[in-house]
Amino acid sequence: MIVGEWKPIAEMLEKLRGVKKLLLVGCATCTAECAAGGEREVETLAPLLRMAAAREGGALEVITKTLERQCELEFVEELAKLTEGAEAILSLACGIGVQALAERFPELPVYPGVNTTSLSIREKPGLWTSRCAACGDCVLGETFGLCPVARCAKSLLNGPCGGTRRNGKCEVDENTDCIWTLIYERALKRGRLEDLLELRKPKNWSRSRHGGPGRIDREDLRV
Amino acid sequence: MSGGLKNSAPRLVVLYCANALESGADLAAAVKTAGGFTVRPVALPCSSKAELSHLLKLLAEGADAVQVIVCLEERCQFLVGSRRAEKRVERGRMLLKQIGMGEERLGFARGNGLKVEELMSLLERRAGLVRGLGKNPVSGEGEK
Repeated sequence: MIVGEWKPIAEMLEKLRGVKKLLLVGCATCTAECAAGGEREVETLAPLLRMAAAREGGALEVITKTLERQCELEFVEELAKLTEGAEAILSLACGIGVQALAERFPELPVYPGVNTTSLSIREKPGLWTSRCAACGDCVLGETFGLCPVARCAKSLLNGPCGGTRRNGKCEVDENTDCIWTLIYERALKRGRLEDLLELRKPKNWSRSRHGGPGRIDREDLRV
Repeated sequence: MSGGLKNSAPRLVVLYCANALESGADLAAAVKTAGGFTVRPVALPCSSKAELSHLLKLLAEGADAVQVIVCLEERCQFLVGSRRAEKRVERGRMLLKQIGMGEERLGFARGNGLKVEELMSLLERRAGLVRGLGKNPVSGEGEK
């Protein structure tokens, strides 16, 4: 899922300075799952913003709404009746949701309340770790289902580098596994170590961010 | 919360796990006699029923402090209920600190078969702590 975390509240407040009526919008999909932007988080942030405004001598009215999916314009339409009188929108969705709101309501300032960080898996309650970099040219079939693009600090396709710690952790962060150590262990378990001797050729990064904004165009899905 | 209170009397809400108090405790009668502060007691089947948003909403609606009373960890009938409540309060205190409201507006205590007098004593301490923070800035605005 797409994961993120709240921006510092001070940063949100700075953007909202002078706003008297705010529409705070959550998303019940990805950012709800990572406890950053679902209904719970929206209803937690709203009173905080009200109190922070009151501390500064102002009064902030916060209208709250959590959409099923903030990244789908059909769902965003539900907000149309709530924007009346609102001076700004604060979104707790990922960056896609923020842009969907800004696209639908160009007359209003739309601010992100969440920093979108990665495509991650929930390893255990409260811990999300990156699994995919959306690079557009998946190599998981060659790396035993473990992604070196997202999970190696250097995105090495032929690892490991010389920085693997003795305990199998990455030199960049002692809490992060060296993904190439894990790839090696999985290959060993499957009896396919020889596969790792093959040199993986340079990847086509033009399908990643390096190639400019991504686009998938499926004409067959349009009628 | 009742209106017309003196500014100097902190308004407290206590959310307590029904299992943390001694059975038959008449909290409703005791809170009427509280001196120097007012209390709105709310019994819960488990303290983990209180979400962080509930605690913060009470403050945003004018309470000067919210006190959460949970069972001893090993006596929690929902096993992790009291621990869950504790973590929510910890996060709430951190967020209140971030916005400069004062973390002491959110209190946490464990108890087992607490007598009413013990609970009132806890609340008196909480009232003392928030008196130092001053009146809740949202008092009177949007109170429900």
